[in-house]
Amino acid sequence: MRLRKSFMIAGAGVAATSLLAACAGGAATSATTTDGSAGGDTVTFRGWAPIDPALSGMIDAFESANPGTTIDATVMGGPDYWVDLAARVSSNTMSDIVGLMPGAQTQQYRDYLMPLNECAASQWGDDWEDKFYPIALDQARLGNPDGDDNFYGLPVLTQIMNIWANTEIMDETGAEIPQTWADLEAVTPTYEGNGFTPFLLGAKQYWLNTSIYLELANNINPGLVYEAEDGTVPWTDPDLVKAFEYWQKLFTDGIAQEGANALEPYPDAVGMFEAGDALFLPLGSQWIQQSDPTADQSTIADLSKGMNGYEPFLFPTIPGGADSPQYVGGAEFLFGISKNSQNPELACQVLTDWIAGAGGQVLINTLFDLPAVKGLEPQVFTSDKQEEIFNELANEWLPQVQYSRYFKDPAIETAVSDALAAVATGSMTPQEAAESVQEVYDGL
Amino acid sequence: MRHPLARRDRLTSLAFVVPALILFFVFVAYPIVYNFQASTLDWDGATAGTFVGLGNFVALAHDPVFTKTLLNSALWIPLTIVPQALIGLGLALMLNQPLRGRGVYRALLFLPTVLSPVVVGIVWAQILDPNSGTLAAIAEQTGLTFLKFSYLGDPKTAIFAVMVVNIWMYTGFSLLFYLAGLQLIEPSLLEAAKLDGANFWQRTTRVTFPLLRNTHLTLLLLGIIGSLKTFELLYVLTSGGPYHASEMLPTYAFKQAFQLHSIGYASAISVALLVIAIGSSLLMTRVFGAGFITGEER
Repeated sequence: MRLRKSFMIAGAGVAATSLLAACAGGAATSATTTDGSAGGDTVTFRGWAPIDPALSGMIDAFESANPGTTIDATVMGGPDYWVDLAARVSSNTMSDIVGLMPGAQTQQYRDYLMPLNECAASQWGDDWEDKFYPIALDQARLGNPDGDDNFYGLPVLTQIMNIWANTEIMDETGAEIPQTWADLEAVTPTYEGNGFTPFLLGAKQYWLNTSIYLELANNINPGLVYEAEDGTVPWTDPDLVKAFEYWQKLFTDGIAQEGANALEPYPDAVGMFEAGDALFLPLGSQWIQQSDPTADQSTIADLSKGMNGYEPFLFPTIPGGADSPQYVGGAEFLFGISKNSQNPELACQVLTDWIAGAGGQVLINTLFDLPAVKGLEPQVFTSDKQEEIFNELANEWLPQVQYSRYFKDPAIETAVSDALAAVATGSMTPQEAAESVQEVYDGL
Repeated sequence: MRHPLARRDRLTSLAFVVPALILFFVFVAYPIVYNFQASTLDWDGATAGTFVGLGNFVALAHDPVFTKTLLNSALWIPLTIVPQALIGLGLALMLNQPLRGRGVYRALLFLPTVLSPVVVGIVWAQILDPNSGTLAAIAEQTGLTFLKFSYLGDPKTAIFAVMVVNIWMYTGFSLLFYLAGLQLIEPSLLEAAKLDGANFWQRTTRVTFPLLRNTHLTLLLLGIIGSLKTFELLYVLTSGGPYHASEMLPTYAFKQAFQLHSIGYASAISVALLVIAIGSSLLMTRVFGAGFITGEER
């Protein structure tokens, strides 16, 4: 009798819990209000970038120009933010403005984001798209379904994948910028044992590996990798296998340093590079952020002051590939507005101000990163070298960027990333790596 | 006929239990049931999920990475728990003797256990860095070139390198348990053994070790559950790589959920983890009895 009663109580408990749990798998509701959206004259923002002091400056710029308004901003580390965003979307507590990555992430939350076409037109006029660099705007719609021309996020900053050289070491050793693969191959044997790492690769993080793979693939056969992504050519195409081969050579031919697989690009590799411990660092144009004129200059590493110790160059050409290095890059991050924002007009004003208005100017002045809109440039440079590098990146390189540094689908991105790790560790041959990506593509 | 006072007593008892029950259902039972339900869906966590029944579990059964995580767990459990227990016991035996500065040694040895695994991971990554790490510097000074090896970057050694860090971190935990266990052993038993001519080794292996049975079993149970939940150290040191070489169930579930947005599949991995944890706990109580948990003799 007692046993039966216990079972009944337990059964009731499980039934009640099951009812409570009934919402797993449901879409987040499209309620008219959200806890994350403040309403009134306040706009909420959550993201992983930009960080302070840039963000504080952007907020001050907007609030000063729009008295009575308040921006309630929260910025956290990238991995924390992805979890935060997913939880907030599920619980219908998105902030008014959200930070987004182009492609898969924006597409995942598309149903919860406000199309920004009208917002952009209302603030910048009907020809607003002309304000942006084409690659940045293209990537804002990366992965949109056919026929959907909406922008669910607008690009804030852009990025070009490249390699940075330590010019002090170059001057001391006579090293030169490698233009071809043969030049690159010669770097490590020539300069190893001189107290610095010739080619410092932080291959622990997938994003840098996939970016380098895209640089290699585009230098071998420009644009082919995106055809594989669309299914018009197989991933086992000889040129895409060749890109895996050259990635492997970075490890097997001793170009990258020992232990590259375990080295984080941030903060490990960049810390070593800034300390003068490496000759070349594959990264991206965002390295120009290291020279912040608004920061206390005594806190900036000597090499980074005014970018005096650095020189950017593109990934060297590959034998049998394109004659010149290709430009791979795109939007660094986007801002979107929650569909459930209680204050979409004010959120739109903030978003457009932060991209191309006074807030955007503060952002560029502080970070020195490449803007997504044309004509925006830092008002003060810390050195002629910094100005020279910025102009080269913004005015010469950026308009030539044709190829995306992102994949459209996170499953393909992960498959390529896994394949690159497998090739780097000798767990797969380049051919097997390409086949593994094709297998994932076939399963989509 | 029940006594009315007994009924009132029962209601009073129930009133004391209800808050705990509510917390249990909200924070334990509800997430578990929710997780089970999510594991039956093809779901990205935002848009509406599609019911796939046991589809995620079928996919898991064919997933080589999932198999790898199980193999890694099978390695991790004995290769971390046994050394931690043996070193912890050895240290506890030493620190149970009258020793000058004993409290300081105990505190120092327990210190790694209370540190954040993230901090420990960052520090050890620096120590193990083959280019500018502490071991690399020692290698250059001493000629011990094997120290200048990328233990975290090589798929053959990555998981073992993390295990070493794990052992370094959690041996203090075993030490604490064994010290507590040693305090409970009646000194007269050891005295009697000594009078009977047993030397230190014999007293330790034939008297102390068997009398610490409950401590061994408690550490084993906590070790198994802790091993299955290992996340922070792995994530900071290797992120489960290179190429899944050090992947464990929690890191794989995290990647599926937050990199691939496959909440349904990640939930299936979590369910598998839960089943293994509960299964191993039940097996242990079945084999060894529940006395080591309740403190009662079997």
